[in-house]
Amino acid sequence: MADPVQMQSAASPAREAWQMFIRSSVSIAGLSMLGLILLMSLFGPMLYDIDPFATSGAPLSPPFTPDLPLGTDQIGRDILAGIVNGGRTTLAVGAAAALLSLGIGITLGALAGYYGGLVDDVLMRVTEFFQVLPALLFAMVLVTLFTPTLATITIAIGVVSWTGVARLTRGEFLKLRHMEFVTAERAIGADNARIIWRVILPNALPPLIVSAAFAVGAAILFEAGLSYLGLGDPNTMSWGLMIGSSRNYILDAWWPVTFPGVMIFLTVLSVALISDGLNQALNPKLRER
Amino acid sequence: MRLLIPLAIRLAYAAILVVAVIVLNFLLIRLAPGDPVETIAGAMGGMTEELRAELVRAYGLDLSLPQQLLRYLARMLSGDLGYSYFFNLPVSGLILERVPQTVLLVVVAVAVSLLAGTALGVLASRRPNGWFSQSLTVLSVVGYAAPVFWTGIMLIIVFAAWLPLFPVSGMDDIANAGNGWFAYALDVAHHLVLPVATLSIIYVAQYSNLARASMLDVLGADYIRTARAKGLSEGSVYFKHALKNAILPVVTVAGLQFGNLLAGAILVETVFNWPGLGRLAFESILRRDHPTILGILFCSACMVIAANLLTDLVYRAIDPRIRTGSR
Amino acid sequence: MKARGRMNGIRVAALALALTALVGASGTAIAQQRGGTLVMPMAQAPRHLNSAVQSGIATMGPAAQLFASPLRYDDKWNPQPYLAQKWELAPDGKSLTLHLVKNAVFHDGKPVTSEDVAFSIMTIKANHPFSSMLAPVEKVETPDPYTAIIRMSKPHPAILIAMSPALCPIIPKHIYGDGKDIKTHPNNSANVIGSGPFKLVEFKPGQHIVMERFDRFFIPGRPYLDKIIMKVNPDDTAIVVGAERGEFNLWTFAASARNIERLRKAGWIATDKGYEGIGPLTWVAFNLKRKPMSDIKVRQAISYAMDRDFITKSLHGGLSKPAFGPIVSSSPFYDASINPYRVDLKKAEALLDAAGYKKAANGERFAVTIDYIPGSDEQSKNVAEYLKGQLRKIGIKLEVRASPDFPSWAKRVASFDFDMTTDVVFNWGDPVIGVHRTYLASNIRNIIWTNTQSYDNPKVDELLNNAAEQLDPVKRRAYYAVFQKIVNEELPVAWVNVVPYYTVYDKRWRNLPLSIWGSMSPLDDLWWAGK
Repeated sequence: MADPVQMQSAASPAREAWQMFIRSSVSIAGLSMLGLILLMSLFGPMLYDIDPFATSGAPLSPPFTPDLPLGTDQIGRDILAGIVNGGRTTLAVGAAAALLSLGIGITLGALAGYYGGLVDDVLMRVTEFFQVLPALLFAMVLVTLFTPTLATITIAIGVVSWTGVARLTRGEFLKLRHMEFVTAERAIGADNARIIWRVILPNALPPLIVSAAFAVGAAILFEAGLSYLGLGDPNTMSWGLMIGSSRNYILDAWWPVTFPGVMIFLTVLSVALISDGLNQALNPKLRER
Repeated sequence: MRLLIPLAIRLAYAAILVVAVIVLNFLLIRLAPGDPVETIAGAMGGMTEELRAELVRAYGLDLSLPQQLLRYLARMLSGDLGYSYFFNLPVSGLILERVPQTVLLVVVAVAVSLLAGTALGVLASRRPNGWFSQSLTVLSVVGYAAPVFWTGIMLIIVFAAWLPLFPVSGMDDIANAGNGWFAYALDVAHHLVLPVATLSIIYVAQYSNLARASMLDVLGADYIRTARAKGLSEGSVYFKHALKNAILPVVTVAGLQFGNLLAGAILVETVFNWPGLGRLAFESILRRDHPTILGILFCSACMVIAANLLTDLVYRAIDPRIRTGSR
Repeated sequence: MKARGRMNGIRVAALALALTALVGASGTAIAQQRGGTLVMPMAQAPRHLNSAVQSGIATMGPAAQLFASPLRYDDKWNPQPYLAQKWELAPDGKSLTLHLVKNAVFHDGKPVTSEDVAFSIMTIKANHPFSSMLAPVEKVETPDPYTAIIRMSKPHPAILIAMSPALCPIIPKHIYGDGKDIKTHPNNSANVIGSGPFKLVEFKPGQHIVMERFDRFFIPGRPYLDKIIMKVNPDDTAIVVGAERGEFNLWTFAASARNIERLRKAGWIATDKGYEGIGPLTWVAFNLKRKPMSDIKVRQAISYAMDRDFITKSLHGGLSKPAFGPIVSSSPFYDASINPYRVDLKKAEALLDAAGYKKAANGERFAVTIDYIPGSDEQSKNVAEYLKGQLRKIGIKLEVRASPDFPSWAKRVASFDFDMTTDVVFNWGDPVIGVHRTYLASNIRNIIWTNTQSYDNPKVDELLNNAAEQLDPVKRRAYYAVFQKIVNEELPVAWVNVVPYYTVYDKRWRNLPLSIWGSMSPLDDLWWAGK
């Protein structure tokens, strides 16, 4: 006779996945790192109350001194202040842009996969169009077009990044729409909207969640690239901006470009670890290894 | 013949896509604040009002948007990509001058990533839980998470300041141009090392992961067990039977990522001052050199489409299931 | 026989001369050597190579090698013969007669005649962005193939500087006079034919320019160099590393103290001579159409708040010199008695109080924005950022508005959409060419590098116009002295520093271009003492 407790936990695959995720060392590492970065970005500027744009010391002062823990850049701006303030930009733009691309991608993919036929054809053509568009180039054009602000950068990144998610969603919907539980819902009179969003989508979630996590990492890297090229919002401190503006001084000072880069790396790394954890938890095939 | 019709349809369709890309970008670019006349004023060291009016007229900036678009499309169909606002030279010439350098960079990077990635992945698949395989997993995440332009800068710091083994900028030392083609090729190869390393780090990591997973998948399959049962050597099992199938996902992913490669190329070319299409694109955007920007977008779109088609062909060539017609 | 005897005598003399020359050559290293390649980086890519229709140092450097000009200059502001071996400025100042050398030919072999000179000058007048440079020129007469007479509607002492290599390239009429629009002429980028010491081998736009010795250059024995290569490289780090590794052997317009120091340590030599002609100034321009910039006390307060010594010592590594007037200190017209606006925060605050801008409860008097010209962080962006912190001390909230790129900034300034902006503007030798344009009321236009400040002082206009026509250098200097005093008082712009351009070079170079125009002069007497 099976243990009643065991039977209960086996009944919920979502719960099981969550348990697995939470216990995997990869996820723990990722979550804790991200958590720390989040804390730093939220409370850091209050605790370390130095204006990242102001001259705080002599230009290019070396790091690891009590006054200037991470040194200064070529104008004398405090690098630690830049790190602490730059986190907000990175995380905000990363999350918002990912959300935007997911929103567009899931919507279009769901509609295409569910309705099929002409709708699918048209939406797939649109998807292919955006896929052929060179993403970084197009984003650069968009950003210069509309003056770089946090909003325009977020929109630009979101607009060029949704095609992968769309295809994935479409694939899932194609698989799932013929399943029994969908036919059952239709039989009891549920309308299309309800079927798409309340019935199929929750079942399509596992690969989408993993994809969402990746999207955040990609958006963070994208924002960093745009800021590095000088196309970011120049009035907001951002790690990519720090690297780009100190680019010409690397022979004399390695620290203004190294520390922001390490931060970007750690952030994306934590997101990637979380994605990996999610992938292992949600992807049954991997679990068998 | 069976292959040609679908191919022709796809090409025609691809052409429509490209035109759509051009139209969209043309419209957007014309709306950009700050026009090319300002850039030219800056480059000229000043301007007179007469000249300003002349330039506006010459570039058609005073025509209505639909008129400008039609004019551009008509010329494009006859192969005329227009003249760069900044250099007053044909855009097609400027692009053709730069394309080989970007292709060189990208192709070498792809080749290195595929070869190194597959090799490492296959090696790791022999002992999936060993230290080599584990460190490869770690490295793959590291390679993916570091921003490509930052990696490039770090490499420059190392090789400029501490280990002067490689040049950190440009494609060649032009003062040496007259020393014969072999010396020149060596010079270019020397300059290629760091940019290729930067660009491929991301992909070597990914492909090795993928190759290892794929190998492990394939090695567990029935036909492999059969081959082993038949008494074939390990080497034969690995290379003749398993590898061919394991490569498929790697190739597919590589092809799909061509767009990302182009983006990476833009950043790498900017960091290393590599005289390619990516750097020209970035500079043209800053200069509001509309015709050049449009020309490059057009070329990139074509390259992505070509890469997709190529991936498809390679895939069909390698995948025995598709080849034998069974689906 | 008598003839032979004479020949013998001549032969002996020739032998003696040759021996002396040999001894001289081997004794010290002062005999010029032929050969060698100059490889230098260019920070900006030139649009094309015809400096008759375009200004900008990116074009003028290479153009001065490809094209010769009537005159060239030494380091003491004295004109020297070049294509014109003799010249006369008429006593009434309304005509300049140029007597050309007779042996000058273009790179395609055709002779350089007065027709070409006339064509070039009228072309420059019609197309060059520096409209004031040749404005009074009415026509150029060519009474014979080697004489050109420039006729002007009024005395124009600037005409001599206007004959410099950077500003007056003599272009071949038989090529550019074909009816095509010269601004977009195909010979601006390919087959660029001039009569300068070097001819064009290759121009890859945005990448590099390769030039080689022109064997039929009209000065015998010159140039010494085999080749000149100019590579576009906007990246200071790459230039320094390249220089250390021998990829470059000369670097002009270097302005970063750290990089210059680094190369000095590697055995290179640095000099700031050669930029007097350009006269580059960094300043903060005010938009006089807007409050509170329209108030002279506010502008003076801001000028008093600037610690120019800190800027030059800390931000520029001690290389730049403070500037507080419209004319650079290296110009013969500079007047040193103007107010240097020594930093005085108390005085600044007093001025602001007097102007009626009292401090609010939070210590703020008013808020304004400052833009900065993109391109040189050290010269412009850093100054703007520094001012932000500095002006806060006197109660002004300064927001730094960054433009992502040059066209955006240019559009803002040209449409007068700014409160303050940093800018880098050149004097260009004679004040008529590069100084007047900023202060004349008639030059208030929607184009950058004009009087975008909307400064209007009829007395200043009168002084400048008088100075433009005044041939007597003493009287001219007097006009400019009064002019400098007035604008130094009224501050349509607040000057910050002279841009510290340096030429950094490998110590094996001899005869560096150190005239007032520096590397924007022909490099025909530059030679390489190395192997």
